Amino acid sequence: MNAVNLTAEHIFATGLRDQWHPVVPSSFVAPGAMRKVTVLGEQWLLFRRSDGTLSMLADRCPHRGAPLSLGKHLGDRVACWYHGVEVESDGTVASVPGLPGCNLEGKKLVRSLPVREVAGAVLAYFGTEQQPQPSELTLPDPLVDPDVDAFLCYAEWDVPWRYAVENLLDPMHGAFLHHDSHTMFDGDTTAKFRIRETDRGYFFEKTDQRGVNFDWVELCRTGVDWVDLSIPYPPSAGPGGAFGIVGMVRPVDEERCAVFFWRYRKVQGWQRDTWRFLYKTLIEERHWDVLEQDRVMLEAMPSDADQQENLYQHDLGVVRLRRMYKSAAEEQAGA
Amino acid sequence: MSDNPSKNTAQDWPYLEIHQSRTHEPTPYEYKLAATLEDVFTKDGHALEDVVRGLNARKVHAPDGAAWTEESFAAEMHRLGA
Repeated sequence: MNAVNLTAEHIFATGLRDQWHPVVPSSFVAPGAMRKVTVLGEQWLLFRRSDGTLSMLADRCPHRGAPLSLGKHLGDRVACWYHGVEVESDGTVASVPGLPGCNLEGKKLVRSLPVREVAGAVLAYFGTEQQPQPSELTLPDPLVDPDVDAFLCYAEWDVPWRYAVENLLDPMHGAFLHHDSHTMFDGDTTAKFRIRETDRGYFFEKTDQRGVNFDWVELCRTGVDWVDLSIPYPPSAGPGGAFGIVGMVRPVDEERCAVFFWRYRKVQGWQRDTWRFLYKTLIEERHWDVLEQDRVMLEAMPSDADQQENLYQHDLGVVRLRRMYKSAAEEQAGA
Repeated sequence: MSDNPSKNTAQDWPYLEIHQSRTHEPTPYEYKLAATLEDVFTKDGHALEDVVRGLNARKVHAPDGAAWTEESFAAEMHRLGA
């Protein structure tokens, strides 16, 4: 499916095209393995050759449309289970065993997407016919800074992707939803916010408190959409100060999303090693408990939640986000 | 590579895995060391000398039973945190 036949409503509901999206953690596709995945409401197959080369193909045999993900990994190609049609990692039909010499052979009939692996996750470019070449991708600075160390946390939620992003553009929920947590128990429960433009998106931040709770967030659109934010650690987490989060959301379909949170900290040497040890042993589970509070709340939101609201000043970041995504969806649909 | 297609693509929705960074369940020694470190960081400070002094004062020793030094602590953290 391409944008020419997509409506703005469908794009808004299933995710923007012509940009990069995170897909799964790299470790989900072992060398010599394949994995099906639903992204932007479409079925895809991640397929990794034994040398590690990764490719992403439409999960659809060019012959009769059977899912290639039910087929066999043949090392450098996938064979459809239905009639054995073999497809190479770039989408070219290598062989039609039932009819050698068939004119399908040698043709690139399966859509393949540009993929990159970044900080332990697979990113793919979801282009359209109008814009099949990948747009420039600038990676989140904390994920490429050698002085920063990060752990990826991946989770799958029964939540529309927009609600998960909106949740991140709503820092004030930290003081309430996460009040009973190891990191966000402190800070005022009243605040004033402002929007501050940047050349890659915008900050949504408290005007009267910083470094106490979840006090600011930056939305960044750099070929992939991500947020950056910072949350103070209690003294028990040792030296290194606050931890940051780079967050991305992958639309699965209209009702579901997958979330990617890189928890990062600017630490080196023994301080880095000690944080990593504490994270693996004790802190990761506490972070998980916080994330579960978000999941429980968002999954319980009614499906018409964003149709019947009474917003106030704290929702400026959300309003801005929706307007931006709505107009981008309309533009992509050519409305 | 598997002959069983379902093995290649098996996945249950949703993936909700609490521990994604571990290579193993921490040992009792590792749990005790981590908990003591948090106590030291909370009460004694964040400098390397504070940490070594705090661990030794609490009689939580290195795996070989010796008192911690700054070098042995850094080496053990590197082993456990890498």
